[in-house]
Amino acid sequence: MSGTNSVSRPALFSAGALFSAAPLIIFIVLLIYLGISAPNLTDPATINLILKQSVPTVVVCLGLATVVVAGGDDVVSGGIDLSIPATAIICAGILADQLTNHGSPLWSAIALAAVAAVTMGVLNAVLVVAIGMTPLLATLASSVAAVGVTKVITSSRRINVDHPFVIYIRDANVAGVPSAVLIAAVFVLLFCFAVHRTRWGMQLQAVGGSRDAAEVSGIKTSSLVAQSFFIAALAGFLASFFVLARGSGSTPGSEENLLLEMVLATFLGAAFSPRRIVTVWGAVLGAVLVTALSVGFKSIGVNVFWTGCIKGTLILIVVASAAYSGRAQS
Amino acid sequence: MSNTTSNTGFEGFGAKAIFVRYGFLIIIAAFVAFFSFYTDSFLNGSNLLNIVEGSAILLILALGMTLIVTMGGIDLSVGIAMDFGAAFAIVAMKEYQVAWYFAVLIGIAGGGLVGLLNAFLVVKLKVSPFMATLGTFFIGSSVQRIFTNGGGPISYRRVAQEYRDLAVGDIAGIPTEVVIAFVVLVIYFLLLERSVFGKRMHAIGLQQSAALVSGIKVRHYLFFGFVFASATCAIGGIIGSANLRMFTPLAGYSYLLDAIAAVFIGASIHPQGRPNVPGTLIGVLFLGIVANGLNLLGLNFNTKDALSGIILVGALALAVMQKRLR
Repeated sequence: MSGTNSVSRPALFSAGALFSAAPLIIFIVLLIYLGISAPNLTDPATINLILKQSVPTVVVCLGLATVVVAGGDDVVSGGIDLSIPATAIICAGILADQLTNHGSPLWSAIALAAVAAVTMGVLNAVLVVAIGMTPLLATLASSVAAVGVTKVITSSRRINVDHPFVIYIRDANVAGVPSAVLIAAVFVLLFCFAVHRTRWGMQLQAVGGSRDAAEVSGIKTSSLVAQSFFIAALAGFLASFFVLARGSGSTPGSEENLLLEMVLATFLGAAFSPRRIVTVWGAVLGAVLVTALSVGFKSIGVNVFWTGCIKGTLILIVVASAAYSGRAQS
Repeated sequence: MSNTTSNTGFEGFGAKAIFVRYGFLIIIAAFVAFFSFYTDSFLNGSNLLNIVEGSAILLILALGMTLIVTMGGIDLSVGIAMDFGAAFAIVAMKEYQVAWYFAVLIGIAGGGLVGLLNAFLVVKLKVSPFMATLGTFFIGSSVQRIFTNGGGPISYRRVAQEYRDLAVGDIAGIPTEVVIAFVVLVIYFLLLERSVFGKRMHAIGLQQSAALVSGIKVRHYLFFGFVFASATCAIGGIIGSANLRMFTPLAGYSYLLDAIAAVFIGASIHPQGRPNVPGTLIGVLFLGIVANGLNLLGLNFNTKDALSGIILVGALALAVMQKRLR
């Protein structure tokens, strides 16, 4: 789909352009509507809350965007990693269990969580690159295994965490900005720079654009794809701290919502890019907007059970309009 | 995918050739041997019947999935179709006092609605099956939460005995749900493996553009496939609701990965690596054997979940490896 770079941008007011801008238009309309019906949505405090709430999704999106950039945006045969939320949850479970139940020092808890994340990254890379499983199947399976192992670690119970480090991420502000947001911003800048501004990132994009062409031009495609899964697991590891902070502990079953938001935000992010491809910054923007919608709907009193419906519909509008504009351009 | 590989490499009798041909069956045999050694009751006749009975619903869902994967897609909403089947049937009987056989039809139609949405998205709007069925999955889950006010089950204790018998009754000594699953199995076998329809479905899955050029009405087939598969999954939901005499929201989700796994395990056993009905049956039975065996070992619930997840990853990896070596 996104293999050709010579796609001309559609004329500003053609039907095709309007169609491909549909997700953006819908989002803006929704946000304006929410802004009017919930006037405090634009308060600095609410904006801070939205940013803070969005941090776990933002960080897992960094990983998914990297995998999609390296694998191409065909969800079945291309790159996708559905296991990043599961990685975040298993790391959060280990951290919570170590810090609260075992009273371990922070460094050893982090080390154990890192081991789990590395295992997930290696597992996905081996399944996809060495064994040749489609990423969709491989990461779906590894995510089930990770969720299962998490249940053993946490005995399927909620574990509260009141370690100062987690409290710092949850509550501290630096110059009026939540510390979690600042830390996440650093990660975002690092990922943006690595994927979109370095030689390595260019090679990654080349692999995602056309694996054969990249291979012919001497890029080690398998190694890059494996690295992308490894980095995705790293993103899951980083996200686990924010998951812990947001929930003040680890809660069983929280990976499902994270998965939904991650997929929605990342593919919605493609709508922000002029070439309609998945980008790191697009995914980040998507994650913040999705959270803004969740917070907005909650503040105007929409039944929380409806949010899944609204987000599911949004996913479909986004991908349908992407499919439409893809056809219009080809 | 890479289905163009020829299967001529079978001359050798080395370890590799044996693995390529029988790898997965050897693994199944190893699990059977392990469980019968470590548990007393695994090989009992009644336990073997338990495995078959416990696999009936999964088999029905996996067959629906086989159809979709044969067409080159994937269906993440099989569980939703199953839930809708149960919900429509139970609510029809409870709220509208519909006769049980009519409720079954309503349930199947309810599942078909899920397929209709998928088909509309994939065929009309050209959304990829993965994204389309993922969207359907989230919308369907949300609808169930809204409908049940957060996910509480809807029970109907005074359900007709005939309906209840769909799950707990038996026909000539064979549990009814096994008979139903067997009938669905035969229908799918004839449809996918022994008919022109099935040949065309495979053609669409192998290369859609070629199928289109050769005059197959691809859109019609895709549309039919999605609706038929979802309606099939609804049968699984109806059996589940008959067993518990209630509709449990979001119950279908737990079958999703197993259904996908069974289809891919089945494809790995096929000489050309294609999804196929007998292979899916073997995949389902393998998962049934593992689940039953882990149960008999008396493991803690959480440990069992973790182990079956890890076995699943291993089994899928092995299945794909076997396919690649051809």
